[in-house]
Amino acid sequence: MVRITGGSVYDPANGINGAVKDICIDDAGRVVAALNGSEVRTIDATGMLVFPGGVDVHTHVAGGALNFARGLVPENQRIARKFLHTPELRAGIGGLTPTTFATGYLYAGMGWTTVNEAAVPILSAKHTHEELHDIPIVDKSTLLLMANNELMLDLLEAGEFERAKSLVGWMIQSAKTFGIKAVNPGGVAAWKWGKNANQLHKPIEGYAKITAGQIVTQLARIVDELGLPHPMHLHQNNLGVPGNVASTIETMNLLQGHRAHLAHLQFHAYGGHDWGSMKSEAPAVAAAFLAHKNLTCDVGAVLFGDAVTITADGPWQHLLYELTGRKWGNLDVENETGCGIVPYVYSDHKLVNAVQWAVGLELLLLIDDPWRVYLTTDHPNGGGFWRYPEIIRLLMDAEFRKAEVRKLPPEAQKRITLAELDRQYTLSDVAIVTSAGPARALGLAQKGHLGVGADGDVTIYSGKPDADGVMLSYPRYVLKAGTVVVEEGEIRALTEGREFIVQPAFDPGIEAFIRPNFEKVYTMSFENYPTEMSRIRHPQIVPCSR
Amino acid sequence: MGGKVTCTLGEVKNRADFIIYWGGNPAECHPRHFTKYTLTQKGKFVPLGRKGRTMITIDIRETPSARAADIALIIKPGKDFELATTIRALMKGQPVDEARVADIGLPLATIQDLVERMKRAKFGVIFFGMGVSMTRGKHMNSAGLLNIAAEMNAFTKFVCMPMRGHGNVTGADVVLRWTTGYPFGVSLSRGYPRFNPGEFSTIDLLVRGDTDATLVLGADPGATMPQPAIDHLTRTPTIVLDPKVTHTSRIARVHVTTAVTGVSAPGTAYRMDEIPMTLRPGLKSPYPTDEQVINLLLAAVAKKPAWRPAAPEELRGASLVRLASRT
Repeated sequence: MVRITGGSVYDPANGINGAVKDICIDDAGRVVAALNGSEVRTIDATGMLVFPGGVDVHTHVAGGALNFARGLVPENQRIARKFLHTPELRAGIGGLTPTTFATGYLYAGMGWTTVNEAAVPILSAKHTHEELHDIPIVDKSTLLLMANNELMLDLLEAGEFERAKSLVGWMIQSAKTFGIKAVNPGGVAAWKWGKNANQLHKPIEGYAKITAGQIVTQLARIVDELGLPHPMHLHQNNLGVPGNVASTIETMNLLQGHRAHLAHLQFHAYGGHDWGSMKSEAPAVAAAFLAHKNLTCDVGAVLFGDAVTITADGPWQHLLYELTGRKWGNLDVENETGCGIVPYVYSDHKLVNAVQWAVGLELLLLIDDPWRVYLTTDHPNGGGFWRYPEIIRLLMDAEFRKAEVRKLPPEAQKRITLAELDRQYTLSDVAIVTSAGPARALGLAQKGHLGVGADGDVTIYSGKPDADGVMLSYPRYVLKAGTVVVEEGEIRALTEGREFIVQPAFDPGIEAFIRPNFEKVYTMSFENYPTEMSRIRHPQIVPCSR
Repeated sequence: MGGKVTCTLGEVKNRADFIIYWGGNPAECHPRHFTKYTLTQKGKFVPLGRKGRTMITIDIRETPSARAADIALIIKPGKDFELATTIRALMKGQPVDEARVADIGLPLATIQDLVERMKRAKFGVIFFGMGVSMTRGKHMNSAGLLNIAAEMNAFTKFVCMPMRGHGNVTGADVVLRWTTGYPFGVSLSRGYPRFNPGEFSTIDLLVRGDTDATLVLGADPGATMPQPAIDHLTRTPTIVLDPKVTHTSRIARVHVTTAVTGVSAPGTAYRMDEIPMTLRPGLKSPYPTDEQVINLLLAAVAKKPAWRPAAPEELRGASLVRLASRT
């Protein structure tokens, strides 16, 4: 049992904005109104800032793709932060593709306590769950890659919506995931033939009727009708392409009437028609986004420095490989999805990278409803998640930000509007975009707030600026389910997190349909396809609304 | 340059109309490969099965696999890298001097024909074996082949995959990557993972005599490693976990007989394309599983006083507040 006393509490979900208030956590790790008994540890947080633990709505921390990347960039591991083996802690390596144990240390050390792994193929879901076991401390959820699943596409092509819906429900239950991710709908399937899907209203490669736009809307409808807590999580077509603002806004229009979460919107807000003319279209994208109240987004900000791009968007990664001439990893997953990996450096003297850096911040500032835009770097695509405090500083300090903008190449400064934005994030805004908002978007009622019944995940900042004048850098204490896991900047306890999964209802007759079709095109026994429940450590089933 | 452009085996089954086996002999080493994944299977987009696919072998001799091929190319030993480089040059339309590539053992016109066929393929794949990766040139050969596949994607869809074997070697590679960041050749002697093949890989450690004890799990180095490495295994305490008597178990201080994973012990194995498979034992065994023995060893080690490596100064008390640095 823990009582945090004397701190200024920032709990926007409960309308608390800096009030001094005790937070009590019982032995079950839940926030309670008051504690009785003597076995209470009291943390004196006088003068400190008390936040709900951070929630990362979109990150890549486990599974076949990330593990492929680890093998591809040993040179990155070599220069990354090391974690020494101690009697309490497993050894690990930080950096852009951290080892599983280090991933838990780094998230907890930064004050984040829940992470959403955003890309899981059904075929290798067992692997993803195995890695998630080995990520300590944080709670986890996962999203299943569906928008290029050929069994589903074949059904949508044939106009069999109800059957497609049941198939998606069966797939989620089989892979033991939490939600649905759509990546470059139709484009990854086309990549199996070396093609892409850059038009929303043209039939995709290999199909006569179904278009990328139809996949987007039908999958969003499926997710809504299955009643999943988290809406369809969409990586749109044309990621990273100059001029993609048109298809981004068109996709928003198509999604009218459905819930959807737009992932890493920064990569989808560019004007111009080639790399030389690329410019920010953040104002147009932000305006369109604000007008569509059915949507949420995360920003996928980029930071200057090293990154590793990892995505199911195979065709984009081939383009990036041709642009950079660097290493390229590609892994097409039979009948389901793909994966591409290209190490990348965002350079502050390159026009394109400077525009990308600005677009992420512009979206975070221009979308003035913090409940609908969340802080991410699409880790490790835009930079390591452990650099979030750098972005928070840029959001909270307009003078600092403007000084950074003035360092950009003059030509880049003409392509952006960031210098004109004066908005500064309040502490409450930060609590929303890093915790309360993403928890709400994920549909995790016990996350992102500190009200009675919430999980006892608390991040406590010293309340004093650090040596660089930064208010919210790394926390003084972090509590996970009531256990003090970080103190004095060191990991103090190695707890095991839970995994959130959903079990949507579907027509059980679908299995008789899937089996023969599966056996034709896969290379394993049907019985070997689903992930066994015994592989999920500490599962918590989140109810669907239908 | 570099990297790995690959796919899962079902993609080959469903799409590959052009299959190259290079420096490998699946007919004898992976006997189910042709029938289960590649050659004879009818695929979603290769409805004719074998008739819809062109198979090429590239090797230094006529293997049983070569007899299954449409075109079997025999090259001179140790010329894999030269052939790979020539293919890459021809692919990009660069001039190649026939006299300078004569020692590959193939007429230039034959290599040119191969490149044209590769470009005409709808979906091409190169599988390569130890004839490429474990002969003179080693990882440079592998890199040459992987680069062919990557660069072919400027013309058509192409992928590449090593023909891995030896039980669950892929699984060991996969798990080491997520726990240590590296696939093999990992040293934890400083308390954190370091990677340097040639320094920390098994043969190098044994030949140099750096180890003072060895735990051998699911492998038989006594049958395959160079004699100086085997001598060191004999000299120092070696513990073998294996269901059967092996060359290594004969020289070991301790041999723990374990259940056979997949037959009488459960577990997970990763296919060569890194897809995990659940192993469900059909039989019971009187012997413990590898996992049970390892857990007993870990419990015994945990009772010993904690050993902590002397950390380099910059890592002592690795404090999270210093994580703000860019790495």
